Amino acid sequence: MIWQFDFLILALGVICALASISLKDLLSAAIVFGAYSFLMCLLWTEMGAVDVAFTEAAVGAGVSTVFFLAAVFHTSRIVQPRRRGRMLHKLVGLAAATGIGILLISATADFPNWANPNSPASTHLSPFYITETIPLTGVPNIVTSVLADFRGFDTMFETAVIFVAGLAVVSILGRYGRRLRDYEPSPVGEDVAHQSPIIQAACRIFVPFMQLFALYVVAHGHHSPGGGFQGGVILGASFILVAISYDLRVMQRRLQERRAMLFSSLGVLIYSGIGALCLLMGANFLDYSILHTILPATSPIMARSHGMLGVEVGVALTVMSIMVIIYVNVASYGKSDRGL
Amino acid sequence: MEILLAKYNYWIYVALMMIGIYGMIAKTNLMKKIIGMSIFQTAIIVFYVSIGAKKGATIPIIEHGHGAAHAAVRVADYVNPLPHVLMLTAIVVGVGTLGVALAIAMSIYKEYGSLEEDEILERLE
Repeated sequence: MIWQFDFLILALGVICALASISLKDLLSAAIVFGAYSFLMCLLWTEMGAVDVAFTEAAVGAGVSTVFFLAAVFHTSRIVQPRRRGRMLHKLVGLAAATGIGILLISATADFPNWANPNSPASTHLSPFYITETIPLTGVPNIVTSVLADFRGFDTMFETAVIFVAGLAVVSILGRYGRRLRDYEPSPVGEDVAHQSPIIQAACRIFVPFMQLFALYVVAHGHHSPGGGFQGGVILGASFILVAISYDLRVMQRRLQERRAMLFSSLGVLIYSGIGALCLLMGANFLDYSILHTILPATSPIMARSHGMLGVEVGVALTVMSIMVIIYVNVASYGKSDRGL
Repeated sequence: MEILLAKYNYWIYVALMMIGIYGMIAKTNLMKKIIGMSIFQTAIIVFYVSIGAKKGATIPIIEHGHGAAHAAVRVADYVNPLPHVLMLTAIVVGVGTLGVALAIAMSIYKEYGSLEEDEILERLE
């Protein structure tokens, strides 16, 4: 933790946040917001939160910028000035922001000093997880072991929340397009060729490596930063890259929206199914150690490690397909035909 | 100077949060409100992650491998992983809610032909 480095990133972050709030052009605002997300990712790496930084690099700086661009593309790009009551509106906003800000800053007087190793948060609960993760689960990455095992019940519902978010996007935007049931991918016409061949060639080379890396991130999340969420977002981003550099229909020949919907529910089913399997075998819900009786050549400790891999695969499936579904719907206004 | 070095991080997080709140209240464009909401969200995430930071500690992955000695794990050597776990899922759920927010904004644009709050209110009447 080098405070000069910290301060530089935070100052740049504040500048980017102010710029993306005040820019009149929404396209530039979205790009600056992507830069802001990337600065946050650097900040988290610097604080030692590698898994969070990895997620933010994939999600904040990558996928959510693309979502913003797709939404701005289909709506208006320039912010119109407010017709009346502008000053009042700004004053109310400023007053609320400064008021809450002063209250929060005065509350920081009670906080422990920044990065103090003896702060209450670091002395009461967390030492248990740091010392016991290897003896209890055999997984060196503490974030993965807490995420998928100690706190697995919560992560299961987080996965369900992502699934529900995808359903919500489909049901909000789907009524402007055709019904999913009637969907047939239309033949790819010659209008695909309007994209630059350099971009298409680069995409063709990139995508296999991206997907291979995503699978590595999912499977190796026990030993290095990564896991189901990060790997799933990278997998989804590889499909989104195909959709951007070619056409939405080219991507849909690889992964139809209907099939993505099936995959997303399959992911939640894998996660809860592993939990229910533990329950059926006589242990608690999501207590993977009982699985050593059916997995060959494992001890109860290794079974917990393998159980985590199973649920991470489920998480990755859901996250990947929901990212693809949100992009397809936002980029085509629910029609899922052409895209940007 | 000492208190400044110990607390300035928190103050900048508050500043980021207030930029988000200002965007959500004072901006009339719906996309700007969504950007403000996302900035507010990252400010809270950065606050949580910073709770887990420890001076002189490394990333929360226990040293392992064939060469590594199986010494006892010292808690002070690893940053607190619990805020990381909470915030990791919050980021991914955040992109889900961002997608829903964008879908609602696009739906409003289709119905009212504008993303400006005052124009939408006029057309509602």
